[in-house]
Amino acid sequence: MENKKYTRAEILEITKEIIYESAPELEGKPLSEETVINTDTGIDSMGFTLIICRLEARFDVKIPDRQWKKLQSLSDVVTAIEKRL
Amino acid sequence: MDKLRRYSSFYEMVCSQAERLPQKTAFKIEREGKVAEVTFAAFKEDIDNLVSKVMGHGGSCAAVVCDGSYSCILNIMALCRAGYQTVLLDASLSEEELLELMDATDVDFVLGDEDLEELLREKNGEISDSSSGDGSAGPTRILFFTSGTTEHSKAVVLTESTLCSSAYNGSYLLPLSEDDTLLCLLPLNHVFGFVCGFLWGFSGGSCVALGRGMRHLIDDLSFFKPTAVSVVPQLLGFLLKNNLINTELSLVLIGAGDCPPEIIRGARERGLKVSFGYGLTETSSGVALSLGEDPYLMTICPDFEVAISEDGEVLIGNTTCMMAGYYNDPADTAAALSDGVLHTGDLGVLEDGKLRITGRKKEILVLSDGTKIFLPEYERALAKRLPGRDFAVTGVDGSPYLFVYNANKDCDNGLDAAHIGRSIETFMMKLPRGQQIKKICVINNPLPRTATGKIKRWELKEGRRY
Repeated sequence: MENKKYTRAEILEITKEIIYESAPELEGKPLSEETVINTDTGIDSMGFTLIICRLEARFDVKIPDRQWKKLQSLSDVVTAIEKRL
Repeated sequence: MDKLRRYSSFYEMVCSQAERLPQKTAFKIEREGKVAEVTFAAFKEDIDNLVSKVMGHGGSCAAVVCDGSYSCILNIMALCRAGYQTVLLDASLSEEELLELMDATDVDFVLGDEDLEELLREKNGEISDSSSGDGSAGPTRILFFTSGTTEHSKAVVLTESTLCSSAYNGSYLLPLSEDDTLLCLLPLNHVFGFVCGFLWGFSGGSCVALGRGMRHLIDDLSFFKPTAVSVVPQLLGFLLKNNLINTELSLVLIGAGDCPPEIIRGARERGLKVSFGYGLTETSSGVALSLGEDPYLMTICPDFEVAISEDGEVLIGNTTCMMAGYYNDPADTAAALSDGVLHTGDLGVLEDGKLRITGRKKEILVLSDGTKIFLPEYERALAKRLPGRDFAVTGVDGSPYLFVYNANKDCDNGLDAAHIGRSIETFMMKLPRGQQIKKICVINNPLPRTATGKIKRWELKEGRRY
């Protein structure tokens, strides 16, 4: 797979796209790096799993399972991907 | 019904199936991206080969980190065959948490996880006892933790015999056939996953397909094409919402938490037969299962007697599936189990001999992913992050919601959900995702309480308009 270099802003945009695609009920709700996934979006742990799996596939990275619970905000998710690219 | 019979040990079950159905597929697993099959005879041979290696370890208690793989099941079977007390551990926990649980249950060695075994060796030194297994004639003990690593978490002592009996009881009411493929998606360190994701199928000669973990929840059904699956409510909701149900699937067994009616309705609209189960770790899983139209009205399993106490608590009597007790905790064991009757802490009613669960007496929140929160302990941890705040946690739609009273609303403009969220963030990061606060509600009225000061959690839940 091509190892494309992404900027942080691009990772954030793709992450938002995948969240909207995985949780269509959030359409129209603004998302930013500060958005706290659990309390601001209502995405449950299964929905979160789906999003992380899609992000891992999209960026060809693997975020270790034991790190998942530490990903509280979108900023945490973007950082976790950025570190592994 | 195919040859439904009672077993007293896993090995007896394995031998019986290997003799009766030697070339039939016992397991479907993934190997190099394809479905591979293991026959009953091959499974027995794999166990026999492993037992001699296991016996060389010494000690009397072993742990298995339950990642859901074929080798994980093989390790459990071999340890039990060799007579080791076996502790089943949650693969999502950190090494520190796993060491803590192993310390609490006197584990001598870990099978199947070399890194963790090395850490245990560093901590405890070499095994001094050169004998292997417990050497007793009684059934081998298997320990399940009621929840993660909280102070309220207990190790429940079950045996091969109680677990086999539980599989018998489930199969008696809801039999699978030898043509069925049961998909095992739930962790084996949860008794519901172990009995209803594995033993339920295996004991009846069905094929058990071993799910490939969290990353494959989206494609395990299309990959293995099961005819039956056991799920927690949240997982079923997820499978339905994302159209992940395969056409071959016909039966869904839901357990380990309250299931919203819309999820059951959604599954039935797909043509699935849906059964809802009630059970506890202490009873080796299922006590009652719904078989008819009303998904919440449950037929009691044949080995169980259920009564309702004067204050509405569900009391359970049973001699074949009941736990031996909580590990090294005679006080809690005596409190829960007196004269062979288990005080469940759940509230219910009997309708024409069938059981309907109506609520919970204990301050335990059962989440839709099947895990539990002991609310006083959870709130004590939150209180350290929210000093001086009046707050409470309650369950809404199977998730924990935090309600905080804005006592000084006229001069405390800074109190909002985001502010509270930041205060509790480090605590949240320590919890499994499903146990993290799903919503923070800042309310302008004091928390509703009883005359004795207990929080009326039900009113909070009802009053989400706050």
